[in-house]
Amino acid sequence: MTRAVLVTGGGGVGKTTLSAAMAVTAARNGVRSLVVTVDPARRLADALGADSIGAEPTPHPTEKNLWAAMIDAGASWAGVVRNYADPSVADRLVDNPFFAAASNHFPASQSFAAAEEATRLVEARAWELVVIDTPPAVGGIDFLTAPAQMTDLVGGRLLRWLTGGRLPGRRFFFDRTARPVLRIGDQVLGASLLEGVAEFLMDLRTTYDGVAHRSKEIESQMRKAATIVVSTADPTPIREAVRFFRELPEIASRPKAVVFNRTLPTDWIGARPGRVRVELAENLSRWGREAQRQQDLIGEFAGRYRTDLTKIPWRPEPPTDIDGLAGLMESADGFDLMSLCLVGGDPHTPARS
Amino acid sequence: MFDSPLVLVSGKGGVGKSAVAAAIALAAQRAGKRVLAIAMIGDGGGLAAHLGAAPLDFKPTEVRPGLSALVVDRAKAMMEYLQIQIGIPALTAFAPFARAFDVLASTAPAIREIVTIGKVVYEVQQGEYDLVVADAPPSGQIGSYLRAMKTIGELVPSGRILEQAAWMREILEERTTLALVSIPEELPVTETQETMAQVKEESEVAALRVISNRVLPVLSTDRESLPSGRAGDAARLHLQLQDEQAHWRGELPADLDLPYLFGVVTPTEVAVRLSEKLGASV
Repeated sequence: MTRAVLVTGGGGVGKTTLSAAMAVTAARNGVRSLVVTVDPARRLADALGADSIGAEPTPHPTEKNLWAAMIDAGASWAGVVRNYADPSVADRLVDNPFFAAASNHFPASQSFAAAEEATRLVEARAWELVVIDTPPAVGGIDFLTAPAQMTDLVGGRLLRWLTGGRLPGRRFFFDRTARPVLRIGDQVLGASLLEGVAEFLMDLRTTYDGVAHRSKEIESQMRKAATIVVSTADPTPIREAVRFFRELPEIASRPKAVVFNRTLPTDWIGARPGRVRVELAENLSRWGREAQRQQDLIGEFAGRYRTDLTKIPWRPEPPTDIDGLAGLMESADGFDLMSLCLVGGDPHTPARS
Repeated sequence: MFDSPLVLVSGKGGVGKSAVAAAIALAAQRAGKRVLAIAMIGDGGGLAAHLGAAPLDFKPTEVRPGLSALVVDRAKAMMEYLQIQIGIPALTAFAPFARAFDVLASTAPAIREIVTIGKVVYEVQQGEYDLVVADAPPSGQIGSYLRAMKTIGELVPSGRILEQAAWMREILEERTTLALVSIPEELPVTETQETMAQVKEESEVAALRVISNRVLPVLSTDRESLPSGRAGDAARLHLQLQDEQAHWRGELPADLDLPYLFGVVTPTEVAVRLSEKLGASV
């Protein structure tokens, strides 16, 4: 059985680095581990041995037990369509100008593609641990709602709106007299746009059965995964973390832990500088105020949502190599994230759940 | 620095672009200008919090004397766009048309963008304000908004929407500043550079400005003789961050630096403090 850990959170909080750090640490404890990331920063990609990494998992050049894969969300959305549509329809869909627009406007399609890819790797049962990093643009709870939204999109919700209730045949769109909507549409947009959209949506609808079925499987895998929410002690990412606790009951299981990244030592708060130069005393006082601000925000969050917390100290530079990634986990304080990865507690026993 | 009648504030998510947009609006208001602040996407919660305002509406509300704010609600913006800008009579099968248009906005390239940015540009054209400041979509999406008029031209062979796109484009290309907010770290800097290259190549706006946010004060201390203890630890962290920032500031020179605000908690206080720093440049 494969253990899946889903790492979520707002943009720029260090999800990808943390995902890699967890996989590295598990691998060093003898767990066959795969980290699945989406578009990592250059330096992190280098640390994971990026030259050779693609959509298919590749073993790390020096680190035994560690594999990495990088998902191109845009490419895999095209892949999803190719999986679930007739070959001839799939070509037409992918080449359609509305296809690119729909994927831009519909972040769920990219999340769906990433979730599908991750699910496939979990189902392969080739690893004891799969750590899944979520796409930067979406990151939060949207990753978990994507399968349902995707089913809804291809299921013709938009198409029904466009035509006013029923799912039409192709001929419908050429009958101008029947649809004043289309007549006005022509005046405003020129004749072909609405038809083009409708054709696109009708093509997309042929993928419905496949997508709906797959969505159920993805949801079930994501529900079994241990979810971690990453944040920094700043209002914007905390707002994203809060959504998990407000909106999650209908969607999946409660997050196992919230990780606060880039935390400052609390003993800097109000600390006496000792006999040092004025400049250094002022600097300590500034950072002490910042540590106080962080503590207040984290305390307020913890009091309200009563969840396990892990704090990771602020490091100026992201880790640039495997040792740096392992060091990141060693510096973590609070709830032991590795307990989610090393099921059974004995690092030399393969993970089971 | 912001002498054009429209300033679009964009940047990678999490760099503080709503705070900077609010700060520009507040600084201009203090300088005696009539200002409109617009949240282009989402519910406008971030912008409202930074302005110290109640939740925003599609109708402009005055949040301070001379400073109004609104949020672009897509459905309402679409109605206004179709009725006022495109000139569809209000009674003409309106509900189904708006619904069909909403489908278009979710699928067809450029429709959603043109409706949203259309509202912003429309407010500039009406001339009721000296400055319109928009809390714009993040840099990953801003290009598709700036290009929307061009895209429409390629997609729609004829129709009223095309004529409309022409004057919108003129306001963007001749009277608009795009302010890209960044922080001196790897990912925001890389994304800002990519956005700049794209925008410059297509010359989509009249002026492009880079604002570097959360810039640390310079600690010029002797690194070899840092004391042990907390003051020394804080200095070591600061110096490392400072070096990291110096590197990324070298990669992306900014037109304006805004300071790291130590220990400042409320969004309103953040915006007010930044607006004081902006003072002279607005």
